[in-house]
Amino acid sequence: MTVVPQSGGAVAPGGGAGSGNLYEILDLILDRGLVIDVFVRVSLVGIELLKIDARIVVASVDTYLRFAEACNRLDLEAGRKAPSQLTDIVGEVTEGGSHGKAKGALSGAAEAVSDALKGDSDDEEHEEKQKEPAGRRERQARRPARRRKE
Amino acid sequence: MAVYVYSIVATSHPQNLNGLNGVGDPPSTLRTVPSEELTAVVSDAPEELRPKRRDLGAHQAVQEALMADGTVLPLQFGFTTTDDDSVREVLEERAEVYAERLEALEGCAEYHLKVSQAEEALLRQILLESDQARALNEQITSGTGGPEVPLALGELIAGEVQAREEQLVDRIVGELRGFAREERLSQATGDDFLSVSFLVEQDNEKSFLYAEQELAQELGEDFSFRLLGPLPPYSFV
Repeated sequence: MTVVPQSGGAVAPGGGAGSGNLYEILDLILDRGLVIDVFVRVSLVGIELLKIDARIVVASVDTYLRFAEACNRLDLEAGRKAPSQLTDIVGEVTEGGSHGKAKGALSGAAEAVSDALKGDSDDEEHEEKQKEPAGRRERQARRPARRRKE
Repeated sequence: MAVYVYSIVATSHPQNLNGLNGVGDPPSTLRTVPSEELTAVVSDAPEELRPKRRDLGAHQAVQEALMADGTVLPLQFGFTTTDDDSVREVLEERAEVYAERLEALEGCAEYHLKVSQAEEALLRQILLESDQARALNEQITSGTGGPEVPLALGELIAGEVQAREEQLVDRIVGELRGFAREERLSQATGDDFLSVSFLVEQDNEKSFLYAEQELAQELGEDFSFRLLGPLPPYSFV
């Protein structure tokens, strides 16, 4: 029997205190767990972002255009002509800022927080000051890495 | 001084906190606030708390250490109160509820599963199976469609993606449900279409893990399964 690589499928014994695993269970630590209503929750930068992003729905013009583009690209594998034609139709709209935005928006805040998680502890002070703007800026820049399979 | 609260355990739990640090920089010192039946693990609250690796990791490490020696009710990250007395008050007032919950969770751990599918493979599958999608796509690539065609294609694809992902969610959760006592779905984010937690009894752990691996193999390499656990039962407190 061949073993299909199951990325990250190996169970982390003892749970997820490693920083990589910590990112995967972020939503549990931040959104689950016992809530004691008479206690006060410290307001946390980043948590609000996570929650807002989770509400973004698939049914949006941005998502539609992104899917259409992705489909067009698929068919292009044989001959690579269509980008120019595409540009005539939807190029301007999407390049105006919505390209790839649907997914970027969904994962954006998680990335903002994960940036904070993945940094070396040496950088922590530095990151702390720059955290929010950095998260937003890197949203687009990080996309190629997230989609490296393409 | 304000108190940060990590977990609630039975007072009979060993509460071994050796080698653990609390949240904050410099790290705070962990201590316990005992009541007759229940004990809370707390530390002084740092002035500033951020959802960053250091503090999230400290919160998580406390849960894991306590979990290794017994049952734990992990608090959500970031809860503070005025002082030890107010912690004790909560432990006494709600002793019954929390004790019941601890009992219900005994011998169980949470497993959290996130699954994503390579988008290209999914879109290819949809185009192959839907004549309508293929026709719209050809109109665009051949330049014969109007400006409304990409939107129409996108909407059709989005609907198909959603329907297929819902089916996959049903299938995956359906096949694992039998090995878990409870399950809880959460909003999948990023590239994931599934984010779900299972409460698994120790006796069922092996079967659960085996079933999950089988499923991952069946679905093949277009899918990425990320299973985390055993975790403190954040989703089932």
